[in-house]
Amino acid sequence: MINSEILELLSTFILISAFYIQGQAYFKPAIYVQALQSTLIAILAFYLGISLFSIDYIILGITIILLRTVIITIFLFRGLVKEKPGTRESSKGVASELILNLAFSIIASLVVYYFVLEKIPISTEINNTLMLLFAFILLFQGLFLIISRRSTIFQFVGFIEEENSTILFGILVLSIPFLIEVSVFLDVLGLVIISSILTLEKAEHSRLDELKG
Amino acid sequence: MNIEPILLLLIPIISNVGFFKLKLIKTLSILSAVLTLIISIFLYFLAPIRNSFFFITKFTTFFLSMIASIYLLSTLYSMNYIKPSKIVSERLYYILLNCFASSMLFTVIMNNYGLMWVGIELTTVTSALLIVAETSETSLEATWRYIIIVSAGVTLALFSIIFIYYNYHTLTVTEILTKPENNIITKLAVALALIGFGTKAGVFPMYTWLPDAHSEAPSPISALFSGVLLPAATYVVYMVYQVNPLTNIFIIFATLSIITASVILTYQWHIKRMFAYSTIENMNLALLGLTIGQPLGAIILLLAHAFGKAGAFYSSGIVLKVLGEKRIENIGGLYTKLKLTSVSLLLSSLAVTGTPPFATFIGEFFILQTLIQKGYIIEFILIVVSLATAFISINYNVTKMIFTQRELTVSEEPRLITFISLVSSIIPLVLGILLLVILS
Repeated sequence: MINSEILELLSTFILISAFYIQGQAYFKPAIYVQALQSTLIAILAFYLGISLFSIDYIILGITIILLRTVIITIFLFRGLVKEKPGTRESSKGVASELILNLAFSIIASLVVYYFVLEKIPISTEINNTLMLLFAFILLFQGLFLIISRRSTIFQFVGFIEEENSTILFGILVLSIPFLIEVSVFLDVLGLVIISSILTLEKAEHSRLDELKG
Repeated sequence: MNIEPILLLLIPIISNVGFFKLKLIKTLSILSAVLTLIISIFLYFLAPIRNSFFFITKFTTFFLSMIASIYLLSTLYSMNYIKPSKIVSERLYYILLNCFASSMLFTVIMNNYGLMWVGIELTTVTSALLIVAETSETSLEATWRYIIIVSAGVTLALFSIIFIYYNYHTLTVTEILTKPENNIITKLAVALALIGFGTKAGVFPMYTWLPDAHSEAPSPISALFSGVLLPAATYVVYMVYQVNPLTNIFIIFATLSIITASVILTYQWHIKRMFAYSTIENMNLALLGLTIGQPLGAIILLLAHAFGKAGAFYSSGIVLKVLGEKRIENIGGLYTKLKLTSVSLLLSSLAVTGTPPFATFIGEFFILQTLIQKGYIIEFILIVVSLATAFISINYNVTKMIFTQRELTVSEEPRLITFISLVSSIIPLVLGILLLVILS
């Protein structure tokens, strides 16, 4: 039997971690909270695995911890060497961005809930469509983090949040961990390695004249 | 179980065993590309192949042949073009090139939407470092934008795949296409796929990675991106579209993409960016053809575009290599010293802008004819105006680069890559003439 309050609590913490990263200008805490966010999703998978007696969820949880919490965090700290640990991103106005972000998230969630989720006959493992909203907020949050920051590390954390949102959505709607596991694996196999190379080469992103138009 | 599709996927991967010696991996890469092309053509006669892993129809084999042909041309072109860089060594370049080709082939032959998604994700993984092969600040930025934008798109596509699975409890293409359903979940899945997979296919508004990546990648990779990666993504968009055909939405997005590309083309200053925007226009026209029920026109357009656009990027690569200049306004007098390159550049630009009797024209003609037959008059007018604008913009720039008076200090044209460029740009013309003979 699944206790939906536990799932809601875990999902709420996942969202809080995402907003914390948005309001954080220092690299190190943001990376740690990203690791925490992935761990929370893994705990959620473990909880579903135990409640539904499904080994797939357990494997998914282990994969997330190994690849997201451990390996990605190591790669991000490797990228941080370039940025000098303890330093913060050069962009200003992080706090005001967070306010804008919260306003945007609330509006987007209301739109998604009332105009999409409420109208589609979709049920989750716990028969609570509202749960899917957490995944969508996390997706928008990841996108917002990417567009609002110039630093490679923060943009990458935004990308991880987006990927986390897919996992959250996938495991809440129905059990297709295989595909989700592949997505987690592909991130680490390719994108993280590639991005870590790029992180070391290019720490910040700005508009370049040659890439306009 | 047929062995040919498995060989098709494995040969490029196996060729990487020669990674320890540059000469060996170069030879094996060419061999792999030749074999892949032979198998792709052979598969046309074996099609249709339907089993739990592969779904290959005659329609699919056109995509396979397209991918294999440009893979071969780009591998040959790379021999005389690619130099080792800080991030990507020459050996790594060929390893990634082979994996990239294999991932595109994987994407189009799978009988599973989930694995198609994996294929699209794999193409990003294998191609990202190829963009940065000529290490520079701009290429690093372009690669980063490519990874971030495309991955965001592919994440949306995964939502779409989850919805499809939710509705059908399977992801097998052949099973799903036999029982199409018109409900809100499949509608949502198809709409999300248009944005998600459409990101990779260059559909408005998520196409922004495309001009950056195409312009900053080495020319053989730009040719692969434009000529075959985007058609492979378009193929996936089309396969998902068939789950619940949302024709009007697809037509609106394709038309918007064509209009946007043609407007931006009017003020392009970068030779490769110009061709990149032309790719957006052609891909969306092909997508339009597929969604309004004109697959023949779309296939003709895509085939001709693959070779024409590869020729355009190969020629641009020669201009960049020899003159070291990418600004259109600074390039001129090409006909004096780069005669064959001029011919190839002109032919390919005429091909990609749909000039008769190039095959692209025939493809475009079929699509526009169907569009008007189905009553999409406003879209027809908007697209014709956009195509005319793009035609004028591209050909004006190309003729200016070729025929203006300017002294060039170039000793001679690089032979092999000029020949490849010329061959690639002549194919759409030959194909067009052949089609005209057949049709008449």
